[in-house]
Amino acid sequence: MPQVCFEDVTAGMALPPLVKGPMSSSHIMRWSSAIENWHRIHYDKEYAVGHDKLPDIMVNGSWKQHVLVQLLTDWAGDGGWLWKCSFQFRGMNVPGETLSAWAKVTAVAGAGEFGLVELEIGLVNDAGTESTPGTATVVLPRRNGPAVPYPFDPAVLGAAAGARG
Amino acid sequence: MNYITDEIRALIGAETGWVDAFDAVEASEVRRFHHATMDPAPRYWDAAAAGRHGGPVAPPAFPVHAFRRAPDGPDPLASIHDPDADGLSRAFRGLPPVEVPLPRLLNGGYRYEFFRYARTGERIQRKSRYLDIRQKDARSGPMVLIDIEDRFRTVAGEPLLNVVTTTILR
Repeated sequence: MPQVCFEDVTAGMALPPLVKGPMSSSHIMRWSSAIENWHRIHYDKEYAVGHDKLPDIMVNGSWKQHVLVQLLTDWAGDGGWLWKCSFQFRGMNVPGETLSAWAKVTAVAGAGEFGLVELEIGLVNDAGTESTPGTATVVLPRRNGPAVPYPFDPAVLGAAAGARG
Repeated sequence: MNYITDEIRALIGAETGWVDAFDAVEASEVRRFHHATMDPAPRYWDAAAAGRHGGPVAPPAFPVHAFRRAPDGPDPLASIHDPDADGLSRAFRGLPPVEVPLPRLLNGGYRYEFFRYARTGERIQRKSRYLDIRQKDARSGPMVLIDIEDRFRTVAGEPLLNVVTTTILR
């Protein structure tokens, strides 16, 4: 994928969504096992429904966050950097749902040799119901400019770093 | 009912020292992680593609999950036959306990700031602090929201990421 540059980005543009699923109990089990998460609402349907009064076992919030991070990291490319992102787990997702991570640019601003892109982000199911709304800040190189230094130090953004720190 | 007593409020600001993850970042652990998130990015497994990062790396927020049970740590499934056991620990990173009589624990969200990937083979350190503990009274009943700030770095002192996690007790 070619490196996206600051000049390519305008407020209002949407990133290509990242789609996962349909999700299954096996996907949830694989994630819970990978991170050793033993919360019963992720694998014990009798407990989830009978004890916690949930509709089914739950897709882990901890998994959903990495899908959002993947969307933004892929878009930023190796020459850019996902600096900040935040999100809240406002809704539940269950097996059978296909989940789409989305992002929309809300603002762009130059920052020294680089560009700052502010985004709204989230994760919707097949019905379009939002479960994980949030925001993110991505640092991009300028066309014909240097890659964002790695490891990333906000000081390279000059005054813009302090304004968003 | 007010759960934010003077004793609970006094916990705000409590912090741990720097704590080492028990194991260094392992290639197999990273592989299972990116398999489970269905993220095939070569930087996680292909040294040639990860040249900018000094070798294969773990996904950006991997360190949040890198602090696993120590070999001689208590078994989280020891009480799983208790019908009310949820399988979760209330030991918040070794911070002092937040003793409020609310049985359910939920993940409320995260606020991340990223600086660098953790490389395979590196050992990660974490330092944690209670940033805020507050109560919200929702239609479904009272909730206590606990914001914990975690800072992650390598043992060489290079910053990896900062994250604030909101945990909900209800």
